[in-house]
Amino acid sequence: MAQVFQVIGTRPIRHDGLDKVTGRAQYGADIQLSGMLHGRVLRSSHAHARIKSIDASAALKVPGVEAVATAADLPESGDRIAHLGEGAVNLRHLSSNCLARGKVHYKGQAVAALAATNPHIAEEALALIKVDYEPLPPVMDVREAMKDSAPKLHADVFTEEMGQLKKDKPSNVAKHFQFKLGDVHKGFAQAAVTVEREFHTATVHQGYIEPHNATAMFNPDGNVTIWCSTQGAFTVRAQVSELLQIPVSRIKVVPLEIGGGFGGKIRVYLEPVAAVLSKKTGKPVKILMDRAAVFEGTGPTPGSYIRVKLGADKTGKLVAGEAYLAYEAGAFPGSPIGPGAMCIFACYDIPNVLIDGFDVCVNKPATAAYRAPGATNAAFASETVVDEICRQLKIDPLEFRLKNGAKEGTRRADGPIYPRIGMIETVEAAKKHPHYVAPLAPGSSPFPRGRGVASGFWFNIGLKSSVTASVNNDGTVSLVEGSTDIGGTRVSVAMQLAEALGIRAEDVRPVVADTDSVGYTDVTGGSRVTYATGWAAYEAAQDIKWQMLEKAAQLWKTDLDNVVYDKGVIRAKDDPAKKITFKELAEKIQHKGGIVVGRATVDPPWPGGAFATHIVDVEVDPDTGKVSILRYTAVQDCGKAIHPSYVEGQIQGGAVQGIGWALNEEYAYNAKGEMTNASFLDYRMPTSLDLPMIDAVIVEVPDPKHPYGVRGVGEVPIVPPPAAIANAIYAAVGVRMNELPMSPGRVVKALAAKK
Amino acid sequence: MKKIHVTTTINGKETEFLCELRQSLLEVLRDVLMLTGAKEGCNNGNCGACNVLLDGRLVNSCLVMGAEVQACNVQTIEGIATPQGLHPLQQAFLEGAALQCGICTPGFIVAAKALLDQNPKPTEHQVRHFLAGNLCRCTGYDKIVRAVLQAATS
Amino acid sequence: MKNFTYFRPTTPEQAVALLENRWGNTELLAGGTDLHDLQKEYVAQPARVVSLSGVNALAGIRVEEKSVRIGAGAKLADIANHAELKRLFPSLTDAADQIGGPQIRNMGTLGGNLCQRNRCWYFRDEHTNCLLKTGQRCFALDGENKYHAIFSQGHRCVIVNPSTLAPALIALGASAVVQGPNGRRTIELGRFFRAPGANNEREHVLEANDMVVEVTIPRSNLANASYEVRHKQAYDWPLVQAAVSFERGDGGVRNPRVVLGHVAPTPHVAEAAARSITGQAVSEATAGAAGRAAAQDAKPLSQNGYKVKLVEVAVKRALIIAAGQKRYWEV
Repeated sequence: MAQVFQVIGTRPIRHDGLDKVTGRAQYGADIQLSGMLHGRVLRSSHAHARIKSIDASAALKVPGVEAVATAADLPESGDRIAHLGEGAVNLRHLSSNCLARGKVHYKGQAVAALAATNPHIAEEALALIKVDYEPLPPVMDVREAMKDSAPKLHADVFTEEMGQLKKDKPSNVAKHFQFKLGDVHKGFAQAAVTVEREFHTATVHQGYIEPHNATAMFNPDGNVTIWCSTQGAFTVRAQVSELLQIPVSRIKVVPLEIGGGFGGKIRVYLEPVAAVLSKKTGKPVKILMDRAAVFEGTGPTPGSYIRVKLGADKTGKLVAGEAYLAYEAGAFPGSPIGPGAMCIFACYDIPNVLIDGFDVCVNKPATAAYRAPGATNAAFASETVVDEICRQLKIDPLEFRLKNGAKEGTRRADGPIYPRIGMIETVEAAKKHPHYVAPLAPGSSPFPRGRGVASGFWFNIGLKSSVTASVNNDGTVSLVEGSTDIGGTRVSVAMQLAEALGIRAEDVRPVVADTDSVGYTDVTGGSRVTYATGWAAYEAAQDIKWQMLEKAAQLWKTDLDNVVYDKGVIRAKDDPAKKITFKELAEKIQHKGGIVVGRATVDPPWPGGAFATHIVDVEVDPDTGKVSILRYTAVQDCGKAIHPSYVEGQIQGGAVQGIGWALNEEYAYNAKGEMTNASFLDYRMPTSLDLPMIDAVIVEVPDPKHPYGVRGVGEVPIVPPPAAIANAIYAAVGVRMNELPMSPGRVVKALAAKK
Repeated sequence: MKKIHVTTTINGKETEFLCELRQSLLEVLRDVLMLTGAKEGCNNGNCGACNVLLDGRLVNSCLVMGAEVQACNVQTIEGIATPQGLHPLQQAFLEGAALQCGICTPGFIVAAKALLDQNPKPTEHQVRHFLAGNLCRCTGYDKIVRAVLQAATS
Repeated sequence: MKNFTYFRPTTPEQAVALLENRWGNTELLAGGTDLHDLQKEYVAQPARVVSLSGVNALAGIRVEEKSVRIGAGAKLADIANHAELKRLFPSLTDAADQIGGPQIRNMGTLGGNLCQRNRCWYFRDEHTNCLLKTGQRCFALDGENKYHAIFSQGHRCVIVNPSTLAPALIALGASAVVQGPNGRRTIELGRFFRAPGANNEREHVLEANDMVVEVTIPRSNLANASYEVRHKQAYDWPLVQAAVSFERGDGGVRNPRVVLGHVAPTPHVAEAAARSITGQAVSEATAGAAGRAAAQDAKPLSQNGYKVKLVEVAVKRALIIAAGQKRYWEV
């Protein structure tokens, strides 16, 4: 039976909202400390080069410059793997990504840093640091990099071939793995229709509006405090601890408000550098990145080459699928090829599957997580091929998904068997949605219009969260959590505590704490905060409830067995006259009985995964190749929507990032491997004028494990848009776009090729 | 290099400051006057996070020299609410969940105020056209546009 | 950003007197949207900046009997929103209204729009020393050139002129009034721009100690329009722009001017297109033919062939808008 809620499903104003609409909220760049210096980072002007020497003597002579840092100031990190929550990283590579050691592997890689009394002095002095480079030929494309003849980025990266390290010769291919299910040869033999296509996708950036920043104060006693913008204060602490080889207990990370991350603010870039400069100068050091450095020096998501082959029998049942995915890891191994390969057919029940995945180094920035990392590239390929099969078999694409969609019990190619999931429910909701039954949305032109659909999957994760919750004597609860709030999770976590205690969301006061003030909490990523930290809040509420029951039992001098907690009211079972509200009891125990503090830590099982099905109507100007989005509907299984407004917001924002990825965004490189469009102007993220309203449709198939059925919502909405739009373009003008972005020039070219 | 002395009006109060010539109005607001509500997203006029009203007109404070606001009237996000309460736009952003990470929010509210000051009843298209110099990466703009339209009705 | 000294004159004569006879060391500051960006990127490193914010004579839009005079300091937003200009010269006001976002239009000026530096990504890169700085060659010629010129035969540098007001103004027969150290002179905007081809050359013919004070547009009943093809609906540079003007006559189009933006190092006058539409009634067929004529001499570089087709489209649509015909691409 569905639970009945009082708080969950309502739309209270977020607790941190007022500070954010008045400009008072403190973000990383807003911090000012007395005596603070300003750091700036010198970045490589080469895509691939050996560093022969670095001479900072001239820079150090500039009045106001107090210290310079290079890789020589970082301890040598061994080949150890650090898990960051969403992805893992080799510490030696991470160190070199913070300050390059010996070689640079992309233009924009940090080479040196300095601290000065003012940011302009620091910036100008950078030009006086002389770096002697021996340029090496760069390799920028994943398939080029896979060739034996390609320039090698690393002498010490070898292919891990099906789990075995092939140490005979260095390779740009860091990893090749396979997922196998059934027998694809037999499967394709049963197919009435087989479609095989190739796809290319460009490197794209998360595009958060707040650049990276970090401020560090290294005290003479060996304790360091770091203020920064991060998706995970504890992961910053762990990385800085490893990179600088100081114990975690010596590091306090204070997460300030974070101006967007989308996966890109998990790995550290500036934090260890600021710490080193602070140690050298004895003063706090703040480092801000500029926008070009964000594009050139932080992790985008990979460009990729993907080949997909799918076969269906004449009834439209998928019988076999094959995929080859090669993802650009960038400078260091570690692209999201694993999740990409797991996601590529994850929406479907296919009995015979063979998936090959390759993680390939190229001379681009080391890639980082970006909202459902790896899944969007994969879905662009697979969902386009699915559409082609539907066309050939003349089956409605949603009917096809109902027939083939994954459900409880379906085995994914990489092994897991799905628990209760909501793929089918999203398709059913899409099918019933007024958008799908309506004629094509009216365009602004008489040009061809078309409708496309696509589905997407993302795992969502569990991981560790801690909270403490103190009952105040006015009946409110102060909730201390370790999850940085990137888009409204203070309120969604607080609401779960409120629901569990039977109090109002407004009576919970959520605070995001530093690493000394709350228990270990993993990153804000993997769509996990409302799920896992919300679960921790639920558990902390249970802790509070038991303590409040004890207090009531003491008050009434009765047995604990005789008191019950019911929606914010404590009653004695044997005496209807004995009842007290949470608020009244909170006030009473202040005087008599002591303080109630609830606490909880959780490491919950992973949720069942999130599915989305999107519908888009586009218009294609055949003369200019410009694609306009006329109508967009994003249907998603959210498990349970705690705060529906912020759930819709996640869906809308994710869909729009997907639209930007689909139509305009890309890293443009020249032959020397230099990014040529490292500004918001030239990178072309969507503006308000490029979009219609995004209709977010929440489907609720509660996750049976979570106390409130939460599944997580943040990531999957970015997955379907490129494929849905490509399918809509095909419906409009009859060309299959197999390359992202589907920009005007490319569409015009494709239309010309069709003629 | 010598600093320059500037007298100007900020959020209705006469204000004096010293700045280097190369300091932008954004740097002056944030680093000299400690008004950190205007944000740096790009520092070259492409994102709108640093929006302020300069003599009533919406500008990117990162592209204005601090020295150039001598004898001007500057309104920042800090001056939008009054002691009596929030501006209807701020209220509409809160109620309509028109922010996620919040970094672009001050710029959007300042821009939307500039719009409503000159066009109190804009259409959806007019809102989208006017806000096109402000980038938001979290919301997809849907709830922002709705909040501005909502504020225009109040 | 390098530090600099700062001057705030109050008259054009004072401003010009503060300039030098060589480029680079002293820069004029109008709206700042381009100069400050270039300074932040260390592409411009002036030691002296002459601000025009105190020169009140540069502001103002005056619609007079014979001509319209727009001060070089007029803000793009004021041009875009000027009721009389909208009626007379929609090509100009539409072009102004599509620049950047409202912030940029509130800051950017007419003079700045005409004199702004090009957007070539090699030129804009601090670390690339191209022909327009002190380098020896244009890197776009055989490099990344998808946004570069398709009419650049013989040019040593293949930028596109970034101004979108210029094509509209040239099609309207406008002139710039220029203040130099020896007084004022008038330069037809059709002769105002040039293709830079050597170190430290600019995109226009002004001397380093000249400044634009005003643009005058002859009053007329010219039909006129501007059409831009862009990636995005807003906050984006055109891939191609076409501005057109013509007299309406019984015998069809008379004295047409077709000027293309973002296809050549200067605004590009498409004479073949003008010949093609002369004497014709504007229709999809005749406008389309003019578009093809406009594109016929294009010689795209390695990556920008797609722009040739966009020229055809932009010219065709601009003619149809100017003629007040049904916009076939809209419903």
